[in-house]
Amino acid sequence: MKLRWILTTLALAVTAPATAGKYGKQVRFAGIHPVPKGEGGGVCHIEAPHVHIYQPGNKLEYRVAAENNVFVGDPMAYGWDGEKHAYKGHHPVQVNVIASVPEPNVHYCYITGPHYHSFEPAPGPEFKVVGDAYFYVGTPEPLYMEARPTYIGINATYEPIQYTRPTVTVEPPSGWILVQPAYVIAPVVIDDHPGRGHAHGHGEVGVGVGVGVSVQVPVPSISVGVQVGGPAVIVAPGGRGHGKFKHKKFKKRGR
Amino acid sequence: MRAALLIIALAACSKDGAKGATSRDGVIGAWKKGGLEASEFKAAKVDVGKDCSQGTVNKIDVLVCTFKSDAEAKAAEDAGLKWIGDTTGVSKALGEMLVVAADRKKVDAQGKVMNQLITLPAN
Repeated sequence: MKLRWILTTLALAVTAPATAGKYGKQVRFAGIHPVPKGEGGGVCHIEAPHVHIYQPGNKLEYRVAAENNVFVGDPMAYGWDGEKHAYKGHHPVQVNVIASVPEPNVHYCYITGPHYHSFEPAPGPEFKVVGDAYFYVGTPEPLYMEARPTYIGINATYEPIQYTRPTVTVEPPSGWILVQPAYVIAPVVIDDHPGRGHAHGHGEVGVGVGVGVSVQVPVPSISVGVQVGGPAVIVAPGGRGHGKFKHKKFKKRGR
Repeated sequence: MRAALLIIALAACSKDGAKGATSRDGVIGAWKKGGLEASEFKAAKVDVGKDCSQGTVNKIDVLVCTFKSDAEAKAAEDAGLKWIGDTTGVSKALGEMLVVAADRKKVDAQGKVMNQLITLPAN
């Protein structure tokens, strides 16, 4: 468990650009975002680029556009009561639009289950609306897979948070990113008793499946929850791993 | 003559169709109309621009500057950030106007008033 967080932290340290402001202790943000508990909590409502004198709380929930920290998580988890749009699964986010800069800058949201954002996707055929939720059915840029191991841990962030998620009970449309073979997330259970001569894969594969991030990883363990271009890696100590990928948080929840 | 009248008519239409406040008084009026409490705004000598006024809105320090063009106002956003200093704030060009807000008294931790400061004049 600790190892996973160490690796995540290291990955973020490498990938996340510094966003300290030019003036004093200022840190730049664009769009709404959670306010750290130590600063009062709740959600900052300033839509335009602005500054605070605190850092973003959880870097897995932010991307950077024009030196601004842009929140790409689910604001409802922090008490947001403004405009909201339901999504299911991973999808691109035009962070430059949120940051009010013209240069295209697309990053990806890696929340696997139903979630909300305060923004709508860019119009076009890459999103389909089914059951009042947006599903991404396009082909992502290579960045999607490159950054997935770093940001997939966002699901573990949201799992313990009690809040009203969108209820999406419909079947995902064909072409949804998480059913496309190239992008499907598939957990693989690996025996933690090396030398006994077997490592097997079992468990659910595909839609609605946990991505390994919520799994308790015993020691010794595989260090990263998700492999790029491949299945999630999960260690099953003596079979206790069975049933850990039912993803309770993505089951039906009332509004 | 007809062409001149047409141009005048089009200009008038364009003005009527313009969205948002286009003057300092218009910006402050939009805030008041939106329910915010704005103090008197007095001329201020600051590095942000040559034509700036300073006051408070709901206890937040606010600077409103007027520029000759949208581009000049946009370019001054950075200077607005410098004026904010070490506190929460926003610096946003609204056409030829620049609105800068600094929450030095920490009365708007969730930025609701500051968001209104930049969205109300734009409506």
